[in-house]
Amino acid sequence: MIKYSNPMSRQVESLPELIEQQYKDLEPKTRTVLTFQEIYNIQRIVLTGCGDSYAAAMATKHAFEMLTGIPTEVVSAIELSRFYCKKHLGVDCRNPLVIAISNSGTGARVSEAVQRARKYGCFILGITGCEESPLGVNSDKILQLDIPTFEGAPGTRSYLVSVMSLLLLAIRFGEVRHQYSMTQAERYRDDIKMQGKALKKLLPKMEETVANTAEQWKDFPCYDFIGAGFDYATAWFGQAKILEATGKFVMHINTEEWFHLNFFAREAKKLGTVVIANTTNPAHSRSKELVKYANVLHRPLLVITDGDASDFDEEEATYIKVPKTNYSITMPLTQFAPVCLLASYLSEILGETYGRGCEGDWEFSKNGAGVTNSEIIVD
Amino acid sequence: MVKQFNIKTKYNDIYDITECVKKTVEESGIKEGICMVYNPHSTAGITVFSPWDPDGFKDLDEEIRRLIPTKVDFHHQHDTPQDAAGHIKSALMGISSSFIVTEGKLLLGGSQGIYFLEFDGPRNREYYVKIQAD
Repeated sequence: MIKYSNPMSRQVESLPELIEQQYKDLEPKTRTVLTFQEIYNIQRIVLTGCGDSYAAAMATKHAFEMLTGIPTEVVSAIELSRFYCKKHLGVDCRNPLVIAISNSGTGARVSEAVQRARKYGCFILGITGCEESPLGVNSDKILQLDIPTFEGAPGTRSYLVSVMSLLLLAIRFGEVRHQYSMTQAERYRDDIKMQGKALKKLLPKMEETVANTAEQWKDFPCYDFIGAGFDYATAWFGQAKILEATGKFVMHINTEEWFHLNFFAREAKKLGTVVIANTTNPAHSRSKELVKYANVLHRPLLVITDGDASDFDEEEATYIKVPKTNYSITMPLTQFAPVCLLASYLSEILGETYGRGCEGDWEFSKNGAGVTNSEIIVD
Repeated sequence: MVKQFNIKTKYNDIYDITECVKKTVEESGIKEGICMVYNPHSTAGITVFSPWDPDGFKDLDEEIRRLIPTKVDFHHQHDTPQDAAGHIKSALMGISSSFIVTEGKLLLGGSQGIYFLEFDGPRNREYYVKIQAD
């Protein structure tokens, strides 16, 4: 029996079906969106976006590098549009390939970033649901998203689709460039596809555990999200969801930097600490150390992992199991589900309105105006 | 009778299947007839080649690649350039070969070996040997 239910938690519950549906849509599209010639032309990749799309870029950067061997950077939209060195744009015949992600395609800064990158000769692949959007019209090629409409909530379904589309592109690039066989490419793809069923199986227990945690953590003034590499992207995404859903203070930091900074925080017993730590993550040993010292500080601890307590020397914590994949790079596809549930349940318990309802002092942000209404400067 | 064989191939490699085919013919008990060697793939081939000089296989590989280079502007873009080239190579080289069976043995010349040609890979492949009595 699910204790709490709101649009965000219902979005999480819809993810298993969404994975199957979107895989069918995106697998053929990612095969043909770029030609062999365009894929062989890639010397460097820049992934860009804002908000959840930026998190999706961070979640898949390592997949691009590991699968294709092509140097890949995650550059936030404002960095690309206002700061990125011109000399590094438009080199080696339309490089780097800029992959810009925005489901709506209307974010001003992403639009500005792709206009500037294109002006200086980069090849732009836009991932968007709207061909006519500013991102769409400023892209050389478009990977068209088609996400079925659902009850509105801080991006949960759209984040999954962004991550999936980027993972499928990375797999495709590696396959075409003969980094591995077509059979191996299918194994990577299967690792994406199978996560729908795996998540469905884990959801009931996940919901129960997160609901109990949300009840215990509801009055905490602050939360801390930690992870390394692709797990950091999920930590970043987690803090974003808590902010959007509850309006509370949240921090995000990578596993190493936590030992340099966040562990100094006082009131540790009221600091809800979420560690994203999959057992296959190359930084797992450091995550184990972090869990140990978080306990020394008496921090309330939630560990999101594909393993269990035995993978963390039986350290005391609430462990939430997410689907175990065959390849660590595909983990970001579903490991974010518990952080959305946590944000969803906290907002439900606290009676919070997503995004403060864009009311009162927040009215300027109505209908996304805060990110769409901004002066475009292409220098 | 028909017999199936499985092989694990490497990228763009050549596999000597002569002994398997010969043994299958002998075990069939058929004295006079036709033996067909067939592969059910579209990026692999079956051919006859001389086994005596190992460098000859390099020549075969190089000439096939020269005639059908792996290029990025194939119209077939669904899979990979290697796969697209493999389809052409397979179509031109053929996916089967037929041999005469006489006196219960495969009739092969002294400089003839039977080879499975992988034009893509690595893959799990199969080929069949069918023997038909007169």
